[in-house]
Amino acid sequence: MAAIELDGVTKRFGDVTAVSDLDLTVPEGEVFGFLGPNGAGKSTTINLLLDFVRPTAGNVQVLGFDAGEESVAVRRRTGVLPEGYDVYHRLTGRKHVEFAMRSKEVDGDPDAMLERVGIADAADRKAGGYSKGMRQRLVLGMALVGDPDLLILDEPSSGLDPGGAREMRDIVREEADRGATVFFSSHVLSQVEAVCDRVGIMREGELVAEDSIEGLRDAVEGGETLVITVDAASEEDLDAVRALDGVSNATTDGGTVTVTCDADTKTAVIGALEESGVAVKDFQTEETSLEDLFLAYTEGEVSA
Amino acid sequence: MTWTAVARKDFEDAIRSRWVAGLSALFVLLVSAAAYLVRPAPGQTIGSNQILNSLFVRDALVTTLVPLIALIVAYNAVVGERESGSLKLLLSLPHSRADVVFGKVLGRSGAIAAPIAVGFLLPALIFVVVPAVNFDALSYLGYTLLTAVLAVCFVSIAVGFSTAASSSRRAIAGAIGIYFLFVPLWGAVRFPLQFYLGMGGGPSWLPLSGQQVLRMLTLINPTGSFKTVSNAFMQGALYTQGDVNMQVSATLMLVVWILVPPLLGLLWFQEADL
Repeated sequence: MAAIELDGVTKRFGDVTAVSDLDLTVPEGEVFGFLGPNGAGKSTTINLLLDFVRPTAGNVQVLGFDAGEESVAVRRRTGVLPEGYDVYHRLTGRKHVEFAMRSKEVDGDPDAMLERVGIADAADRKAGGYSKGMRQRLVLGMALVGDPDLLILDEPSSGLDPGGAREMRDIVREEADRGATVFFSSHVLSQVEAVCDRVGIMREGELVAEDSIEGLRDAVEGGETLVITVDAASEEDLDAVRALDGVSNATTDGGTVTVTCDADTKTAVIGALEESGVAVKDFQTEETSLEDLFLAYTEGEVSA
Repeated sequence: MTWTAVARKDFEDAIRSRWVAGLSALFVLLVSAAAYLVRPAPGQTIGSNQILNSLFVRDALVTTLVPLIALIVAYNAVVGERESGSLKLLLSLPHSRADVVFGKVLGRSGAIAAPIAVGFLLPALIFVVVPAVNFDALSYLGYTLLTAVLAVCFVSIAVGFSTAASSSRRAIAGAIGIYFLFVPLWGAVRFPLQFYLGMGGGPSWLPLSGQQVLRMLTLINPTGSFKTVSNAFMQGALYTQGDVNMQVSATLMLVVWILVPPLLGLLWFQEADL
């Protein structure tokens, strides 16, 4: 059984299409990184999993349950760190965790949970006075209550300092080792590459890439970024470059042309530019990083 | 069924707001002031029921102020969480939307019942020991409870609006509209209407007599139903003497007001995107 299965899912808000004909399967026990720039449809997809919004078309299944009809059953087995939430300002951190325990109908020690997420010393303080990072930790603690089969974390590292982000990754690993499926979103690749088995990249409501981190690395292996200084280049001049085999991305700001390509296509790139009437003054090459590839996907110059 | 967890959370949250402490103080003050105003001449005594039946308690405090305060305590119950984003936290836990709505009704009912209980029972401690007051404990407790029931009706109305409204401004507009309809406007129209219908007026096309129209108008308004039930109760006649049918109808109307507005709100909320 898949932990998450979306089948032809579309969500429109008025005439804005947030998610378009999305197919996505996350097997049980996997750590899945859901990447994409802000506004790509990541949060809408997560909201569909939690029945916060209903699909315009398609079918959403979570842990074998229909996400709409059986949402309470889904959420009983799922821990959630939502996006755009607020805490209860007048209630203490401990009260929040106690509420999560009563809601999930499990017994447990709220203080131990607060200890695990690193805010035990703030247990008796009202959550209204917590910083953004402490709120993230508190809500993560509420999500972990009851050892859920699935964790859905929407931008979990936002508001956390680098140390907090590392602790968050450690917790994700612990949960994965316990056997939980983890589905988390981020707009920063570096936060997910260390812990994910697989990533999916969203852009403008569509899944433009879905692969393991290794697969993505292979895709950029041997790839280079060619930075060419020219007299003047237009978008039209780049068409010939983009048409070449081995070129995955080409952009220009007028004075420089940046091309992501295989190492052995460099000469062809320069040749194509000169044939288009662009005078090449200078060029240098850089190795392509995973980050460059991610940016290339999310900025829309590459399609899967 | 986790609505009790929602109710407990909501009550714990609401009683920590300054509202509840302030309202408790206000109610204590008003009930005490009412007792003072209707105090007997030296050497004479007064029944606690007379204090409760006074214009100050029954008409000013209970049927005018309590509905307004109940609406204010509850109008933000759902839409407030929607606007702040805490509704996402609430619904990421395994609560159905019905759990949220009815948990809110119960939680806010507790948050208004607490100041009502304090407001009536704290002055009662004095009534018990002051020899000038003949304290009727059963009537007093019963009246306090009925006042809480009236407050719950208005909490339910406000939660209904709060569940269906897209913004807290709309929720409060609905709540205030209901208040003006049922309290000042109803009061202003009722007396001339009563006079007119009592004189034998009324639309002849209605298959109802003027008296029946008046009874219906009394029943539809929660404060009217409350007065029907509480007056009968204070006379020791509830469901036994007088117009028993009217008393039963009034009781059922209070139940309807508690259940129907949240259900209507829920119908809309079930379909809504957060």
